Amino acid sequence: MSINTLPPKPLNLFPLWLSVILALLWLIIWDLGVDFKDLLYGVEDMTEYFSRYGTPNFSNMSSYLYLMVQTLVTAFWGTVLAFIMAATIAPYAARPLTPNAVAYRVARELLNFMRAMPDLLLALIFVSSMGLGPLPGVLALSVHTAGFLGKFFAENMERVPAGKYEALSAVGAGFTQKIVFAAWPSMLREAVGNTLYIFDRNVRMAAVLGLVGAGGIGLELHDALRLFKYNQASALIIIILITIVVIDNLSSWIRKVLN
Amino acid sequence: MYIYTQKRPVMAYISLREVCKVYPNGYCALKNINLDIEAGQFIAVLGPSGAGKSTLLRAMNALDPATQGEITIDGVTLNKKNYRKIRAHIGMVFQQFNLVDRLNVMTNVLVGRLAEHSWLSSLFYLFPKTDYQIAEAALREVDLLDKAWSRADKLSGGQQQRVGIARALAQQPKLILADEPIASLDPKASEEVLKLLRKICSEKGITIIINLHQVEYAKQYADRIIALNAGDLVFDGSPEQLTAAKQAEIYGTTAEEIYYEPELVLANA
Amino acid sequence: MNPSWYWPTPSGKPPLTAVLSIVLPIAVLILTASTVDMSYNKIFYALPRMLDFAKNLWVIPDWQYLPQLGTKMLETVEMTLLATMLAVIISMPLGILAAKNASPHPWIFRMTRDLLSFIRALPELVWALVFVSALGLGPLPGIMALALVTVGFMGKFIAESIEVVSAKAIEGLESTGCNKLQSILYAMLPQAVPDFIGSLLYILDHNLRAASILGLVGAGGIGYDMVMSMRLFNYERIGMIALSIYALVTLLDRLSDVFRQKAIGGILNVH
Ligand SMILES: Nc1ncnc2c1ncn2[C@@H]1O[C@H](COP(=O)(O)OP(=O)(O)OP(=O)(O)O)[C@@H](O)[C@H]1O
Ligand SMILES: [Mg+2]
Repeated sequence: MSINTLPPKPLNLFPLWLSVILALLWLIIWDLGVDFKDLLYGVEDMTEYFSRYGTPNFSNMSSYLYLMVQTLVTAFWGTVLAFIMAATIAPYAARPLTPNAVAYRVARELLNFMRAMPDLLLALIFVSSMGLGPLPGVLALSVHTAGFLGKFFAENMERVPAGKYEALSAVGAGFTQKIVFAAWPSMLREAVGNTLYIFDRNVRMAAVLGLVGAGGIGLELHDALRLFKYNQASALIIIILITIVVIDNLSSWIRKVLN
Repeated sequence: MYIYTQKRPVMAYISLREVCKVYPNGYCALKNINLDIEAGQFIAVLGPSGAGKSTLLRAMNALDPATQGEITIDGVTLNKKNYRKIRAHIGMVFQQFNLVDRLNVMTNVLVGRLAEHSWLSSLFYLFPKTDYQIAEAALREVDLLDKAWSRADKLSGGQQQRVGIARALAQQPKLILADEPIASLDPKASEEVLKLLRKICSEKGITIIINLHQVEYAKQYADRIIALNAGDLVFDGSPEQLTAAKQAEIYGTTAEEIYYEPELVLANA
Repeated sequence: MNPSWYWPTPSGKPPLTAVLSIVLPIAVLILTASTVDMSYNKIFYALPRMLDFAKNLWVIPDWQYLPQLGTKMLETVEMTLLATMLAVIISMPLGILAAKNASPHPWIFRMTRDLLSFIRALPELVWALVFVSALGLGPLPGIMALALVTVGFMGKFIAESIEVVSAKAIEGLESTGCNKLQSILYAMLPQAVPDFIGSLLYILDHNLRAASILGLVGAGGIGYDMVMSMRLFNYERIGMIALSIYALVTLLDRLSDVFRQKAIGGILNVH
């Protein structure tokens, strides 16, 4: 076993990986025709441009605040509906709970599909079938994020130690009973964390849903920029920023309390 | 046995003067310790759990600096400014090995050389050839050359501890502090590690201070035994002086318990 | 209520926190229903129209459009990759400064943390709006918006993965007398690699989705075609676009699952 000379050094693939990545980067820049020199030359223009945002105009404050509240409510509804859908689908998509292989595959693919459809695309579709307003936004958010939440829940359910399910099977518990008495109690904390994360995300998304006419503060921002009303745009940006920061801190506070 | 040492004496003369350690929560883990240690000795530190053994060792290389008193190593007194410089020549071996799991064994040993280099060369994971030679020699010493390019976490506990020792050796230290180096190892690996440390002490004249829980090992390997209890130095002497009665004192039991307990148990059975 | 049924609590009543955590959200939902126009009527009237929409999608695809679809999808992928890579390069030092155990000073730690959370507060589309109005249409403003927000997220993830590196490895390094930068490079970063790859895969996934809608405001990628065909009721294209987005996102999802499981152990071992 003991040897007296150093064995040869194995091949180190790191430099290879690095050069592949750099080459790829170069290829992409070349293909997109992006010229970062434009940015350098544009620095002066950019400072001038951003100075236009310098004096935020809060004269429409009350309507902005209403829109922001609408945005938050959209995110909240979207999250709650997503939670309900996800909680319904997830047990079928969790291996230890699913009643059979077909249900498992169907549930997985369904979640996958919901996740893969961008919420703005869904919002476009819903807007065109139910008209402008926050409702299509709520539905788009809930469908899209139910895909995420359902995947998280299913993964949480799979991480619950197998013994807990076995113990319940041993006393003759059925599908729903296993979900209620083994899965949820064991994964409650993670599930709350995931839901908060989705809520954070939905607030951000709800703030831009207005771009496709699905309610919230986004449309106002879009219009302000299109009409070169930079002072109103900056007021809107500040309101969005403050709200998101507050929500973020609130949810990380809740997370801390739960731990 | 010590001829080699005497030819090239390594001066790691350590002295502790009225050393106290009060943790931020107000707990006093070392109470007024005075201690002198000669170079090239193998010193075992005994004491019950919570006695302050780790605290003592960690004060010596200022990982947890003493809050009062003076520690002098090789003529240099520890102060806030020279921590890093002093640590460069003090190896430390840990109970949990404290290797960087995801780096290979060679790099883990080379880490012992980092203190000699500027940040610039470290930035690119580059080491001079002499460092590789030092690391190779250290790995040969602990008999792990064949594992040089494996990832550290792929090794067994005993092997990982030997990597820890090799890292300490790569620092070319005059002193190695070992905090319960065998507490996570099985008896066979424990003996290997202790023999290795003893050999390093005897052949290279490196002073070794080792925290142990096994009195038998301490008696077998150490030149001198120190014992702590609740932050006080309660024993300091040769292995022969550590009688059963003294042991009982150190561990806070009475001699009777040590002698009569087995019979008591039998009597009650 | 049936008096012979009880909750498994000492008092036989449900715990207060459980009741509150169900009653409160429901109360909020009821109070806010009007704000989001939530009504059965609206949903039920919409159902047939949605079915119509779905029916309309069953048309022969516009094969002429295929080459342009390919280019636009490629552009979307390229924007994702470029923005993510740029962001990784920029967020590496920021992430180190924002990690409590690696940051050179508590103030720098706080400042970088705040900077990062400020950057990621606004969604990509808002930044894209701003950059498009500054730089004009095209992928560049999209890439900048994407990279900017990604720096905010990636910096935070890097900081967090450095903070959870076991103190033992770091202590092992510090005991040899090396300096802060060295312990960052030789203990914290290598130990953080698995977490780092995890976050990178997550970010790539997120960015691909984001890039596919940036076109909405004219910031490059497939999004523009999507809105336009939606506005023009160009059903021959809508289906193709939605399908290819679905395929791409799913592909990346599967790939990153495989990669996560297989590669985190071995790949990217420096040295
Ligand atoms: N960071 C700390 N903060 C507060 N008290 C501490 C801290 N570290 C150690 N102590 C306390 O100091 C005392 C001595 O601890 P130390 O780790 O030195 O004991 P030890 O002799 O090494 O014990 P063991 O054999 O279990 O390793 C203990 O009572 C311990 O609770
Ligand atoms: Mg200890």
